[in-house]
Amino acid sequence: MIKTKIIYKLILVFLFFAVLVVLPLTFTVVKQVDKMIDEEESLYMPDTDTYTKAHKDFAPRLIEHIVPYIFYILVMTLLLSIFFMRKMLISLKELQAGSQAVKEGNMDVNLEIISDDELGDVTKAFNEMTSALKEKTLELQKKDMYINAMLDPLWVVDENNNILDVNPAFERLLGHRRKDVIGASIYDFFDDRNTMIMRRQLEEKREKGISSIYEINIFRKDGSQMPVLISGSPIYAGDEIVGKIGILKDFTEQEELRKALQQAKEYAETIMDSIEDELLVIDREYRIIKANKIAMMNTTENIVGKFCHVISHNSEHPCVEDGHECPVRVVFITGKNWRVTHRHVNQAGEVKYHEIVASPITDSSGNVVSVIELLRDVTERMKHEEEISRKNRELTVLNSISGMLSRSLKPDEILTKILDKTMEMLNMDGGEIFFLEEGKREMTCSYHRGISDEYARMMGRIRLGEDIPGKVALTGQLMTSSDISKDHRVESSLVKHLGIKGFCCIPIKGKERILGVLCLFSFKPHFFTMEEEKIVNSIGEMTGISIENIKLYEKMFELYGQQKKRREEEYAQLLSLSTKLGSAIDLKAIMANVLELIKSFFRADFVWMLVNDPEGNFLLKTAANINVKEGDIIYPKDISSAEGYSIEKKTTIVIPDIRAEERFYLHPEISAMSYHTVAATPMFIGEKSVGVFTLYYLGNKAIKADEIHFLEVIANILAVSLERSDLYIKSIDEKGRSETVLQSVADGIITVNNTGRVISVNKAFEKMSGFPSVKAEGLAVCDMFRYAEDNNRLRSLLAECLDAALSGSQATREAELVTLYGQNIPIQISSNPVYDAEGNVTSAVNLFRDISREKEIDRMKTDIIRSVSHEFRTPLSAIVGMTEMILDGDMEDIKARKYLNTILSEGLRLSSMVSDLLSIARIESGKERLKSGPIVINEMLKTVIESFASIIDRKNAKVELDVGLDEIFTGDEEKLRQVLMNFLDNSLTFSDEGCKINITARKKDDELEISISDNGWGIPEEDMPHLAERFYRGKHGERIKGTGLGLSLCNEIVKMHKGKMGIKSKLGEGTEITITFPYREAT
Amino acid sequence: MSKVIVIDDEPFILMMIEDKLKKAKIDVVTLKESKNALEIVRKEKPDLIILDWMMPELSGIDLCRQLKSDPELSGIHIFMLTAKGQDADEHMGLQCGVERYITKPFSPKSLLEMVQETIGTNNS
Repeated sequence: MIKTKIIYKLILVFLFFAVLVVLPLTFTVVKQVDKMIDEEESLYMPDTDTYTKAHKDFAPRLIEHIVPYIFYILVMTLLLSIFFMRKMLISLKELQAGSQAVKEGNMDVNLEIISDDELGDVTKAFNEMTSALKEKTLELQKKDMYINAMLDPLWVVDENNNILDVNPAFERLLGHRRKDVIGASIYDFFDDRNTMIMRRQLEEKREKGISSIYEINIFRKDGSQMPVLISGSPIYAGDEIVGKIGILKDFTEQEELRKALQQAKEYAETIMDSIEDELLVIDREYRIIKANKIAMMNTTENIVGKFCHVISHNSEHPCVEDGHECPVRVVFITGKNWRVTHRHVNQAGEVKYHEIVASPITDSSGNVVSVIELLRDVTERMKHEEEISRKNRELTVLNSISGMLSRSLKPDEILTKILDKTMEMLNMDGGEIFFLEEGKREMTCSYHRGISDEYARMMGRIRLGEDIPGKVALTGQLMTSSDISKDHRVESSLVKHLGIKGFCCIPIKGKERILGVLCLFSFKPHFFTMEEEKIVNSIGEMTGISIENIKLYEKMFELYGQQKKRREEEYAQLLSLSTKLGSAIDLKAIMANVLELIKSFFRADFVWMLVNDPEGNFLLKTAANINVKEGDIIYPKDISSAEGYSIEKKTTIVIPDIRAEERFYLHPEISAMSYHTVAATPMFIGEKSVGVFTLYYLGNKAIKADEIHFLEVIANILAVSLERSDLYIKSIDEKGRSETVLQSVADGIITVNNTGRVISVNKAFEKMSGFPSVKAEGLAVCDMFRYAEDNNRLRSLLAECLDAALSGSQATREAELVTLYGQNIPIQISSNPVYDAEGNVTSAVNLFRDISREKEIDRMKTDIIRSVSHEFRTPLSAIVGMTEMILDGDMEDIKARKYLNTILSEGLRLSSMVSDLLSIARIESGKERLKSGPIVINEMLKTVIESFASIIDRKNAKVELDVGLDEIFTGDEEKLRQVLMNFLDNSLTFSDEGCKINITARKKDDELEISISDNGWGIPEEDMPHLAERFYRGKHGERIKGTGLGLSLCNEIVKMHKGKMGIKSKLGEGTEITITFPYREAT
Repeated sequence: MSKVIVIDDEPFILMMIEDKLKKAKIDVVTLKESKNALEIVRKEKPDLIILDWMMPELSGIDLCRQLKSDPELSGIHIFMLTAKGQDADEHMGLQCGVERYITKPFSPKSLLEMVQETIGTNNS
């Protein structure tokens, strides 16, 4: 609606004007003009002069009359205008001032609406405008504030990437002034490389019109570069992108953090890589997510990302092996460290033993996210251990096989047992024995294990040279394969049908020919070691010999069947002999016995057994009645002797008269006796000669063929036994006899090599010092003790001992060892050199003996001496001094009597001191033993009280006995009585007349508790800690004589009974002494 | 008349010495404890003090030090009569200003001689 009030005002003004100005003016003008016209008319008549004169005056007169009116009109108009326009002017002025204020930025303008007209409306509109403007400005200001308050720098760029504006944070962070950067290109802030990144970012993102975040280095004002994270967003005007706003986030800290993280990672990696053990980090999926250098080195491929069980066990599933749980799994479940030793097989089939320590890696909330595995390759050690245990197993099997071979003459029994035992030894799943049929070129399966009878029958016949068994039987060469299914050398139908992997085929060799083969197989791959091959070969040989023996013997039996009695005798002899040989490993003890048997059986005058040494000599193994020691060289192993000749010929040589045969050399000891007939029988294991045994006859003796056969059977048995014992001894040596000795000694022993480095540390030392032996190995021995500074003396003394030992002499020192537990142990070190065969010192043995006990006894001795020299002096003063004074004479009798009394009491004190001291010393030295017996507590206590009857009477004391048990206690009654008497004596002594003493005995749990309490003087607090100290005499000791040994002795006796002594006391109130003993153990 | 103070916690020692010295006309004051010895010494002004080493409260050697550090009393002769017989003990005693170090057991006769030697025989 348009308001028209101002128009009314104008009309009003006009009307006023008309009334006040125009009408009067018109009236006046009309009146004036009339007057003038009248005058004019008058003039027409008169003369012309007057007319002229009137004409001439008309204009000035008109002006003279009209001007005041005009003036009046002007004034009136002005007054009216002022009157009417006054408010309008005020409004306008205000508007002007308001707009000026707005121009100056002051938005707080609120104009007063003075008039109700259009101007008022304008003012109102102005007010609305300013308030809207104010709001807008505030909003803008707020936005500016936000932007200015932003800690992250911000820039706004136009479509050409020129900067339109930046915020103060930008100025702050980068040092550029706002006014300097506005209009600049953003590319001015980057070096070439970063510019490229920037361009790429901007172009890529611009095309897509999306926000982007990227890291970049920006130049600061000072020229340095700063890492920032820019997040840019396009600014749209409609659909068109007109610019970009970018927030630059200071990335220095993050960058540093990242660097630090990177460094930490590198550091961790360096550490990981510097660890000599393999290290793997494994996630929940059993995937290896990290591996150190060593772990990577030990494999040809990159193991990161692979499954750990594939790598370590070549298995598709996490391992569960031999009862060892997978450590990774255990750690994930338990969240605790886990240590285990695992046998690992890598993809190449190599066996590795790893000592694994698996530890959890947890996230911030404590969940196990991955497992770190430290794998120490203990293959060497384990192989060694395994070798020893395998050797043991082999020996056991060998022993049982050879024992059985020598005990049994039944081929069936022998062969089935051999099959079983060999399978057991090699951990095989099955096996077969094929025998070559005599005169045929075909083998038949005689025994089988692990395959069905049907299969055995089907595969029961193999022609010589065919298949593996046929080839082995033909060549006599052992054949093994760790995985025959992958072995392309062989084509075996035997194998294919069974799906077997580990396979070995052992020839069973007789003396001259191959008797058959022994096949063993397993369904798992089995790698045969050289050792195993050797062993099975020798099993094959032993089996062959045994079978031949049996056959030989059976043949003999057939041939000489008529001499049945003799045969039976032989058979019995043989059995007893082989039983003896087979049952013992250490042959020494029984070899002589066996030879004696042979001697008597063959009625020889002398028998000896010689063995080969590696140098090609015969050594004496066993003989009776000869002046040669076992192991002495007899003569060279060549054909110059009957023995050598028999070995050369591989058969028993019988020389009817050795003296006639000049080509044979005789040992002087033999030569000294006039032997005639000699029979030498060689002992062989396969092709290898073991030794020989020879029968010597003083007379001429005809040796029959069957006897020779029999000798050879014996030779075979002996050969097997010898070989076996040899193997056994070797293995014992390998394990190190010394090791056993070392570990069983109670003293600590450290062996070092000739440079002073530790070879071994025994258990006792480990126990003594706390130092783990594994850590010590390889250390310089003196460095072992570096963990404590107080060991410096020990180290220098040890070095002295070691120097002496390594230069060949023995040395002993005494020192103090500070253990890892922080205890001080007095020890005696003695170092001894160890020599090799040439007499060089190769190592040294250092013995550490704990001499605490000796030291303690030593201390006790000096203690006693000091006590004697010190504590005894006072009573001695009375005895010596007073006696002297009495002897001097001039003394009254009363005085002398007093002196004598003192001498007596001091003498008694001295004497009881001596006996107490001796008792303590005996107990402490461990020489004193308890004479335990049954004690009726009630009775014992009664007698104790009775023995004080006179003192109790004199002191008028009240002693109450309360025994609440009737069981019989086991202990040393005399000693316990001594203790109780001591206590009662104390109570009576350190109490006033009429005192009350309570003695109680109770059974408490499994303990006997006896307590003696009094209401006497009590013990001063300061004396309490010293009560059990020897010669300590408390405050009351000034009044009362004593030895200061009583409680100390009681304490020792109670300790002997494994009991405890407790004293409660309060000065002026009384004392309670309680002793408790374990009830049953008190023996 | 010369005066001797004997301090020992063993009564029979005091008795012996008192008897012996009194016979030689020497005035004897006996003390069973060392606690208040210093005051009594000040009061009695003895010529000689015979001290035991090991006494409760204040040991003889400490008392000796106190006496020797007091200018008024430092002139008094001091004998130590003790059960401590080791050389080191004697050395320590002598260092503290003890004139004679006598170990127990002792001869009262020779003790008297030593006393007389130190403070003069003529007492009558």
